[in-house]
Amino acid sequence: MKTISDIKKGFKSIPAKIKSIPAKLSAKLAGAKEILTQGNGKVTASLIVMGLGQLIYKQWVKGFMFLFIQAAFIVYFVLTGATDLFGFFTLGMREGNAWYGIEGDNSVVCLIMGILAILIILLYAVIYISNVKDVYRTQCAYDTLKQPESFKKEVGALLDKSFHKTALALPVIGVCVFSILPIVFMILIAFTNYGGDIVPPALVDWVGFANFGKILSLGQFAPTFFKIFGWNMLWAVLATAINYFAGLGLALLLNKKCVKGKAIWRAFPILAYAIPGFITLLGFKFMFSYGGPINYYIQQGGGEAVGFLGLDAKWTARFIGLGVNAWISVPSTMLLATGILSNINTDLYEAARVDGAGAWKQFIKITLPYVLFATTPVLISQFIGNFNNFGIFYFLRGGLYADGYFLASDTDLLINWLYNMSIDNNYYSIGAAISLVIFVITSIISLTVYVLSPSYKQEETFR
Amino acid sequence: MKKTLPALIAHIAVILALIILMGTLGIIAAGIEAEGNDKFTGEIERGATLRILENDTAKEQGYLKELLDAFNAKYAEYGVKAVDANMDQYTDLEMGGPYGYGPDVLYQANDALMKYVDGKHILPLPVEQLECADKVGEKAWDAYRASTGGQEYIFGVPVNIQQPLLFYRKDLLPANWETEWDKDKNGVPDMIENWSAMYRYSKQIRQASGGAKYGYMKSLNDGYFASGYFFSYGGYVFGGEDGKDISDVGFSKNDGYLGAKIIRQLASVMNLECTEDTITRNSYSRMAQGAYFATMTTPDVYTLFVKEMVNAGFTEEYARANIVMTDIPALPASGNLEDEDNGFIDMTAMGGVNGYAVSSYTKAPNAALAFVDFATSYKMINRRAELLGISPARSDLAETLGGLNETIKENLDKGSIYVMPSVRALAQVWTPLQTFCATLADDVLTGKNVYTSDEKLKEGIKNVDKQIYDAIHTLGGS
Repeated sequence: MKTISDIKKGFKSIPAKIKSIPAKLSAKLAGAKEILTQGNGKVTASLIVMGLGQLIYKQWVKGFMFLFIQAAFIVYFVLTGATDLFGFFTLGMREGNAWYGIEGDNSVVCLIMGILAILIILLYAVIYISNVKDVYRTQCAYDTLKQPESFKKEVGALLDKSFHKTALALPVIGVCVFSILPIVFMILIAFTNYGGDIVPPALVDWVGFANFGKILSLGQFAPTFFKIFGWNMLWAVLATAINYFAGLGLALLLNKKCVKGKAIWRAFPILAYAIPGFITLLGFKFMFSYGGPINYYIQQGGGEAVGFLGLDAKWTARFIGLGVNAWISVPSTMLLATGILSNINTDLYEAARVDGAGAWKQFIKITLPYVLFATTPVLISQFIGNFNNFGIFYFLRGGLYADGYFLASDTDLLINWLYNMSIDNNYYSIGAAISLVIFVITSIISLTVYVLSPSYKQEETFR
Repeated sequence: MKKTLPALIAHIAVILALIILMGTLGIIAAGIEAEGNDKFTGEIERGATLRILENDTAKEQGYLKELLDAFNAKYAEYGVKAVDANMDQYTDLEMGGPYGYGPDVLYQANDALMKYVDGKHILPLPVEQLECADKVGEKAWDAYRASTGGQEYIFGVPVNIQQPLLFYRKDLLPANWETEWDKDKNGVPDMIENWSAMYRYSKQIRQASGGAKYGYMKSLNDGYFASGYFFSYGGYVFGGEDGKDISDVGFSKNDGYLGAKIIRQLASVMNLECTEDTITRNSYSRMAQGAYFATMTTPDVYTLFVKEMVNAGFTEEYARANIVMTDIPALPASGNLEDEDNGFIDMTAMGGVNGYAVSSYTKAPNAALAFVDFATSYKMINRRAELLGISPARSDLAETLGGLNETIKENLDKGSIYVMPSVRALAQVWTPLQTFCATLADDVLTGKNVYTSDEKLKEGIKNVDKQIYDAIHTLGGS
């Protein structure tokens, strides 16, 4: 399992990796050139038909395996692959008519199968290259009067020094099919007109960047976008900070030796965490409604009912949102912080006390840097989660449009706005386009925050 | 290099040629027109299993079981078996049907069913073959009529008509209502007959109780119920002859703004709870406690009112005698609830026609049609009305049952029920409308008093039309 340290190392090595790409490419090209210039007739045979060179070298198992892969590839393309690949570009040619049982093309399926066909072509190319490399290796062995490795030995190596290839083969295929394919599918949807009335059996078309153009060219869009984006940023920063420091504060409090019955106190926030979020949200909506208990007691006390979540309750509703979000999210931060705090070396505090540092100084100089260092990646994920927090205002204050906002209320986040605009009318392509915009924004913010954080800059501090 | 490079190029060329050849053949094959056949041959598919999607109330009250048992017994000789589809009552056929997951027969509201027409997810039905063909009124059939490819088809069979009704506590009528609140001496209290008297009575109750009790109470932000005030003065959702022209949004058309005026006046005799859904939730218990005199809702929740009265300490017999469900009152022609002297107009309320449709993906269309025929027979609809309290779309049964059933049927025929337009864009109507209705109520109850003039009201409702238009066309419109 990857540790946070591995992830950090991965991030750090990105610039170096980018720099090394040209060198690696030229090395690959030199290798290819060498095969093409030095390859003998058997290499040529494998270039024409996969595995043929190996068969001439009497490497029967390997040769037939490559031959079988080529045959399977051809059969796949004759039966369905070629149609699937063309379907990727046409997104279907024949519209179905369920009234007469005429099965037409399903554009969505065409797109998915097309992506799959492209992945299979890429996989075939990789196997083809390894077939050529393999036969060239055999040629080189014979040229240098060495015995090429037997098939048995090569298979043995897959369980020994090349075990990583064996172990990773299935997961890589799984990642391609279950992770990369859906992501590519979602990205490509943003470049089609899928949605609205154009859903299967109607045929979908490619529209290039038209969806992005539509978003940018809308007169009403820009002012609302910037208003919501500003609030969304403020919300994400405040919500993350509140949840983080309240969770940390609670963890520190419950870590104090003087607190009695810690297990019971810890159980209360966990109960709040355990209740499904939308039930909590509906409960809070009722509590703050005109007919809810809070207004009941205000009126019993002689006051006027307050529209906590009403039409004009912009900032009140925003603060309630922050509070409710904290109610739901603080327990998880508290649990995380409790675990991290138990790992801090108590000698550090002892030394600080000897040096005359007070409780606040110890918190600022020891606890906070340590916890921040350990939890920056978690903080970023919480920030992204809060940035895209759909439920809070959907449940607390859904079904309202505010003056000066285009199809949104003054508490809506970008994700709620996206929902208002796209889901009700099934505008999947527009939804995918806006999702890509949100993805770009959150990616830039997250990477920038991470690169600037001590977690990245001072990795060795707490080692 | 002499041999290797040509070999590489040859391999790539062969693979490319193969892909292009097979892909082109695929495109040619797609271009060949496939022929289809009419599915309704009249021959019932032997041994077929039909998955029936019904609403939750029909399941809970045991009606679906009765229906399935009776149908299965009748068609036992064909080996046809109808079973509960065991799906959510709002299951979207568009999402599951093409992939074989949907039901064979669906019971849903007309707007839900007719949205499947564009994608041809439900079959056009040979309704002339059904027993109920000439028993259901034209207006009810209209809810399921649509043109496609220049030809008109009917896609559903009406079962019952949905209309909001007024619910009130008979025992909370003023003791002197027969002398003071029955101007036309027809034996029906004025507040039940027209909204002006209801407004006056609500004002009186509120003042007398110091705000502890109310007359008519309703969540005014509920667009489904509030839209009727706009329709009554000439407003509409979408224009066009069939009410499906989404380029013409018309709540503000004609004197639609008077509906906004009515809502604002009604809010003045309520409290701030009418700006949110609190009253929708608590009207059952509050009416049982005597805190509300009347409300408006759909007939299927009648038993909830009775249940709450029983919980409040009344006997069921007393509750049933005093919770009265009746047609909605008439509106003042002038659009002013203070006016009781210049005549009244019938209120047009938003409603719908629930019915059956047959999925295009069913493997047994003839058996499914037989099921629809059986389920819409006089006997079964009568039983449905008995068990579920529905208002039948069949004229013969509505006449036999009489009372409200007949009134609702007449309301549909004379256009006092505005049948929900069967277009997808209807989903974009509710938020702008409910925001405006809540704003009107808030305006009067918090003393902001922005919408005090006709001009302001016209401006407000025009803005609602614009918001709806933008919501429909800005991103999705071509």
